[in-house]
Amino acid sequence: MSRSSGFSRIVKIRDLDDGALVKLSKKLGLALSDGEMFQLRDYFRGIGRDPTDVEIQAMAQAWSEHCCYKSSKLYLKKYLSGLRNGSVILAMEDDAGVVAFDDDHAYVLKMESHNHPSAVEPYGGAATGVGGIIRDVLCMGAQPVAILDSLYFGDPEFQGDAKGSHSTKFLASGVVRGIKDYGNRLGIPTVAGSVYFHEGYNRNPLVNAGCVGILEKKNVIRSRASRPGEVLVLIGGGTGRDGIHGVNFASSSLDSENRKSTRSVQLGNPIIEEPLIHAILEMVDANLINGMKDLGGGGLSSAAGEILYAASLSGIIDLDKVHLKDKGMDPWEIWVSESQERMLVTMDPESVKKAQPILKKWDLDSSVIGKVTDGGNLVIQFKGEKVLDLPLEFLTSGPVYARSYHESKPSLTTAIPMETKNYSEFLKNFLSSPNVSSRFRIIREYDRTVRGGTAVSAEVGSPGLGTHSDSAIVVPLPGSRKALILTSGCKVPMVEADPYSGTLASLCEGVRNIICSGGRPHSLVDSLNFGDPEDPEIMGQLVTSLRAIGDFSREFDLPVVSGNVSLYNRSGEVNIPPTPTFMIVGLLEDASKSLSSDFKENGNSIFLLGRILPNLSGSEYLRYFGIQSGAPSPGDLKDLKYLSHLMERLSSRSLVISAHDVSTGGLSVCIAEMCFGNGIGAEVDLSSIYGMRTSVKLFSEAGNAVVVEVPHGREDEFLKECTSLKPLRIGTTGGGMLRINDLEIVIVDSPVKDLMESWNSGLEKILP
Amino acid sequence: MLLVMEGTNCEDEAFRSFSESGFDPKKVHVNELDHTALEDFDAVYLPGGFSAGDYVRAGSLFASRLMASKSAELARFIDEGKPVIGVCNGFQILAESGLIPDVSHHGKREVALASNISNRFECRLIYIRNVGRNRMLSEVAMDPTPVPVAHGEGRVVFSDKSIIEEMKQRGQILFAYSDPDGNTAGYPWNPNGSEENIAGMTNEEGNVIGLMPHPERLYYGYQLPYKLRSGKPTIGKQFFGAVHKYVMKVTA
Repeated sequence: MSRSSGFSRIVKIRDLDDGALVKLSKKLGLALSDGEMFQLRDYFRGIGRDPTDVEIQAMAQAWSEHCCYKSSKLYLKKYLSGLRNGSVILAMEDDAGVVAFDDDHAYVLKMESHNHPSAVEPYGGAATGVGGIIRDVLCMGAQPVAILDSLYFGDPEFQGDAKGSHSTKFLASGVVRGIKDYGNRLGIPTVAGSVYFHEGYNRNPLVNAGCVGILEKKNVIRSRASRPGEVLVLIGGGTGRDGIHGVNFASSSLDSENRKSTRSVQLGNPIIEEPLIHAILEMVDANLINGMKDLGGGGLSSAAGEILYAASLSGIIDLDKVHLKDKGMDPWEIWVSESQERMLVTMDPESVKKAQPILKKWDLDSSVIGKVTDGGNLVIQFKGEKVLDLPLEFLTSGPVYARSYHESKPSLTTAIPMETKNYSEFLKNFLSSPNVSSRFRIIREYDRTVRGGTAVSAEVGSPGLGTHSDSAIVVPLPGSRKALILTSGCKVPMVEADPYSGTLASLCEGVRNIICSGGRPHSLVDSLNFGDPEDPEIMGQLVTSLRAIGDFSREFDLPVVSGNVSLYNRSGEVNIPPTPTFMIVGLLEDASKSLSSDFKENGNSIFLLGRILPNLSGSEYLRYFGIQSGAPSPGDLKDLKYLSHLMERLSSRSLVISAHDVSTGGLSVCIAEMCFGNGIGAEVDLSSIYGMRTSVKLFSEAGNAVVVEVPHGREDEFLKECTSLKPLRIGTTGGGMLRINDLEIVIVDSPVKDLMESWNSGLEKILP
Repeated sequence: MLLVMEGTNCEDEAFRSFSESGFDPKKVHVNELDHTALEDFDAVYLPGGFSAGDYVRAGSLFASRLMASKSAELARFIDEGKPVIGVCNGFQILAESGLIPDVSHHGKREVALASNISNRFECRLIYIRNVGRNRMLSEVAMDPTPVPVAHGEGRVVFSDKSIIEEMKQRGQILFAYSDPDGNTAGYPWNPNGSEENIAGMTNEEGNVIGLMPHPERLYYGYQLPYKLRSGKPTIGKQFFGAVHKYVMKVTA
């Protein structure tokens, strides 16, 4: 390499042979494939000059899997296009989805992964994951109102290895602290989510963070410039050397070499983001912002490229105008840095002055870094010297791959463990297992009530007791009781056994969580985490999962409004289990009419609504015994649709006063959790559930079933409302014991207090 | 007046609680304090959060910025009997600036809010009861009343044991943590391990009030768990209602 006139270097690639070119890609940390490097060389041969270092770094950034979705784009388009309905305002176009909330307001939603950084530096990785997802919602002009996190960790006993992998305990405690410290400091409540442990995540944990915001419909800000002559303004934290090559790192598998890549992990500072939120929202209210994008993966390179390209405009940018926190940065470093807490906005030139009092009040730095032009090449300058001069189309659109894939057939047979002799003892132990046990150890460290809009968080029931809620309920606007219902998660063992039915099962569980809270599902976003897309089996998992999402969305008329794909979640030879996380948002007209999972009174009737299917595949019960699953049964979508409408009617007439869906752990765990909320026991008889053995009745997670509490004396009204769906009366609430009978045999007979103690002890052992 | 700075994050719900209770609240950033006269306001409220990140001792930076700019005005404001209320981080700020409990009347720091004994951030619903005689809040939360807490540093500790005795004699301990039956109990009913189960306190005159729990987060009945919906007004409604009633009297 030789120096050009001053601030950037010319990288001679036109004369390099294939071998040298591949070496160069490694040396510069570009993470581009051999073919992509050859494509770049061809391009610069074509225009008759070599690229500058800024240009080649910008290309690597823009062409990374993380930024251009080159492996998934084709299939995303095929399966997830056009999944919208009348409520959708923006789907799959901008940085987050926008959906109508009421006549004047819309909610904004997005979920994103922050996996690779969290594997290397769990605290910082998770914290900046939260910061990033909040900015994605903020950049649509919305006030963030809730955070959700779906976390996936390895076997709790995994101790790490010599190649630099951390132990599960270290990763889990770091991730939880990162979310807690960032979310709590920002004052956005972390209200719900999920945690799952599986040996497939030993070296590659997943952190999926979701955020929901609220805004007036007239204030929606697009992720694009509006017109030539606007200025580009960078607001917030200084640009530094942290997070360089983050997206390139996130688009490769984790190996011992790049595990040392702590330089690629950004550093978060919530006390810059907090005033940034206030200032941006005040600027939105004052009508000063035309277009906006947050700076996350890919930094300025990605944000500036996309904000202009989406508008079919171009721009001239002066990198020396960017306010820095590290001295002596090279232009290419400024262009690709992923420093946090920064927003890029396009404004009319006369608005810049009007914004100054707001920025000054909140002590925020800003710089006018360029202007929007009417097409032509994107030009980047540094102290007057041109360091990048390329067509935006070429720079931003990136390659698209039709990667070959293979959809493998799930195995049809499943071994079933012997019937346990002592179910009381087994249930007690099962309740303390990592994936069944109480999540209080984690969720009580998250501030779930800040902003004062939380009606129900991840915990319901009486203080000192308490159980898991199915979803969180947040009232986003003052003066109204209309609420958002929020849930997120993935049925990992089911997707692992069969990506198609497992993906459907994950979506169905989300819907059941919403209807058990008294609301109606309204929209969804996905965060798709898969292994190495260059492996046809893994690509097959992704394509199958996308197909299932498309089928589900059409059947339910539930729009998919935004999403994120994270690939290369592989360490050594091990790919993670396919993990499509879904965040589903529901609506509830009146928060005071919500339902919750805790049994409310003694002497009420317990009914099973919907069907449990006789299939243990993909259940936590089989995983507990280490038995490989066969094909899970996807629940019937038509059944669930009917159940959805029915639950809304039952809840609005107070014919059910508690509801909890049968999911992880099956019916036994579902009923036990309902007992824990207020310490109210139950006497249950499973004899009316036909055609399956006792263990299957207790632990099957297949089908779409919900357990409800019906007030004593209103059973006939309840049954009349249920008509074609035949609910089974399976028991009565009351007392301090959980007693379960099947075919005249007492199979469980335990004090609720003992079961609850065991349930609460599970995570305490992992996160002491 | 709701006073905020970067990291203050409970001002929206406090704003709403004041508005719903009949006030016309205004948010003021500490950067705007030099151009703001306290006498234009009927009450000063310091919301919760992590002012300036709380990377130094919780509340200390906010306290020093507040006192640097307004200590004399604030003293006059308090002498006039107008309320100064701090919740959570706001309580920490009042403690750091020596405005509370101020048994010595010298504005010294006499109480600190240390890390919770669990060493964890504690976000839960707990119970408090009213144990003091306060001109503003004596009618609030006579029975054990549910209220949310959310803090990592809320354990009240004193620089000198004699301060507790002084406070008891003068009725300056306002709220105490209890179990659902009103009995004082240790952790987890006392979420942070505070001495004497103290959840909130006042100055001797009773118009400077600091508390760790968040009444502003529980204003509407639907925010309570089903079993605790008694039909009585929530702690938020009672608390801010009582402050409004008091202010009407003082400024009449």
